Amino acid sequence: MHQRIGLLSVAVSAALLSGCASSGVKNPSGVPVTEMKADERGFVAGTGVESQDLVAVTDKMARGILAVPQVANSPTQARVVLDPVVNETRFPINKDIFLTRIRTQLNSKSAGKVSFLARDRMATLQNERELKRSGQVTSAADPNVVEFKGADYFLTGKLQGLSTRTTAGVSDYVLYSFQLIDARTSDIIWEDAAEIKKQGLEDAAYR
Amino acid sequence: MRFDALTALVAVSLFVAGCATTERTPPQRLTGNPAEDAPTLLTNGPSRDKVLWQYRTAAAAMHRGQFDEAKRLLDDAILTISGIIGEDAEARKARGYFSPEARKTFIGEPYERVMAYYYRGILYWMDGERDNARACFRSALFEDSDTIDKKYAADYVLLDYLDGLASVKLAGDGSDAFKRAQSAVRISMPGAYDRNANLLLFVDFGPGPTKYAAGRHGEHLMFKQYPCKIRGAQIQLDGKAYQVRAYDDLYFQATTRGGRVMDHILANKATFKDATDIGGDAAILSGVVLAHNRETQPFALGAIGLGIISKIASASTRADADIRSWDNLPLYMSFAHLEVPPGEHAVTVDFLDEGNRVIAGLTKRMTINVPADGSDRVVYVSDKSTTPQNL
Repeated sequence: MHQRIGLLSVAVSAALLSGCASSGVKNPSGVPVTEMKADERGFVAGTGVESQDLVAVTDKMARGILAVPQVANSPTQARVVLDPVVNETRFPINKDIFLTRIRTQLNSKSAGKVSFLARDRMATLQNERELKRSGQVTSAADPNVVEFKGADYFLTGKLQGLSTRTTAGVSDYVLYSFQLIDARTSDIIWEDAAEIKKQGLEDAAYR
Repeated sequence: MRFDALTALVAVSLFVAGCATTERTPPQRLTGNPAEDAPTLLTNGPSRDKVLWQYRTAAAAMHRGQFDEAKRLLDDAILTISGIIGEDAEARKARGYFSPEARKTFIGEPYERVMAYYYRGILYWMDGERDNARACFRSALFEDSDTIDKKYAADYVLLDYLDGLASVKLAGDGSDAFKRAQSAVRISMPGAYDRNANLLLFVDFGPGPTKYAAGRHGEHLMFKQYPCKIRGAQIQLDGKAYQVRAYDDLYFQATTRGGRVMDHILANKATFKDATDIGGDAAILSGVVLAHNRETQPFALGAIGLGIISKIASASTRADADIRSWDNLPLYMSFAHLEVPPGEHAVTVDFLDEGNRVIAGLTKRMTINVPADGSDRVVYVSDKSTTPQNL
């Protein structure tokens, strides 16, 4: 009899211990963030701009730029200036990283068809030229000849987002669009976009 | 045989009272002054409180004009709060019967997360990154967007207003954001956007809300409001005075969220605590009654044992709400944007009471340098700011 009581005590105690205060709460452990295709119907939606998005988007854009006829078939090197990306999402990001990666991809894969002008270093470059012109430093060529090159194209982009937050979770859709603009005619000679949608649900302790 | 029941009791008691691996932190030498203690606690305190100390230290750094320090701390805190925290062991334990809610990693209630993004947005604007500042204001609003009553969702006037102003300054259209700000007005509304304004003053004042626990077991999370005499501020610059009123009230924001899912869990914990307590009493009493009769004596020990276990389970249940608070937040948020000539300016900010009288002892003085290149000079000032400051 005592043995039964002992077993009963253990069983009741185990039931007490294993009981869950979260009963009645849907998904108390939350749902981990899942990366989804933009056209895939999700259970809610997502979170911020991450490295895998950067890689996927910039790879796609670099391939797209290399396939543009004006670049691919140009007898001369296309000179491109990067114009800062505009961030219209809710995520504070280092937006220059997109253009940096596109630049490095193009520089490594374009086989010399594309070159980039360091306009972000113009102040330093102009200062150096002035030093050469004034004879304060040596020069390998005539410093009075203008050799700074003009741009053939401007590469720029925009990040736009749609965000949703409900009791069912958090959703973020980000549209990454990039353009290559002819500096002479203002024609947009190439444009492409990538979309990423993510969603997640936090642990109930945070809801 | 009698030992079997006793052994079971002892074993179960050990389970209940037993201690899983707990986070041990070395004893801290604290001064009691949050500003002085924060670095120590940030480094050596429990990791679950790291974001709390980052919040507090960042706000204190903002008050001292140490904006790089605030930036570093807020960036790290935002890394934690911007992620989706799912399948987290500490959060799971916080939901369990025998751990308090405060066991989870602190990220703060929505009004606290809003302020982390708001301050970071100010700092981005200081660095000339208007689009990232706007992103922060949007993320801040997003944190407030899932209220139970949608009437109070994303209803910060200033955040929508600043979203629109940043868009205007980025040659975009801020009219939608301005309309949203207008529709959320409860105290006062900032003026029309001035595209040429090059001096942005972010002003906040008053003691912000803190948390306390109510209910029999502390299961109800409540917010405490402190008396505040300040109702506005007066900015004096180049012989002119500009008055700004409060646009948002953090106590209002903290208390208009509706219930949390965690409140439901805490209510369940409280019910369990009460039920096991009452059940324990009943079982012990039954055991005592059974012990008086020779025929039922064999059951008495079991009943008493069950009662004790139930009482232990009740005593071990932690239904108390997490009351860790970002306790150096302001009560009111305000803002002004002005067009001033480039160069050095002396700025005085006085805080005003309900009758527009200057409150003595709170005057802040600063020397600002407005750039000539068309970029904005961003100034943050609080009634807690140190004075004078050179910006």
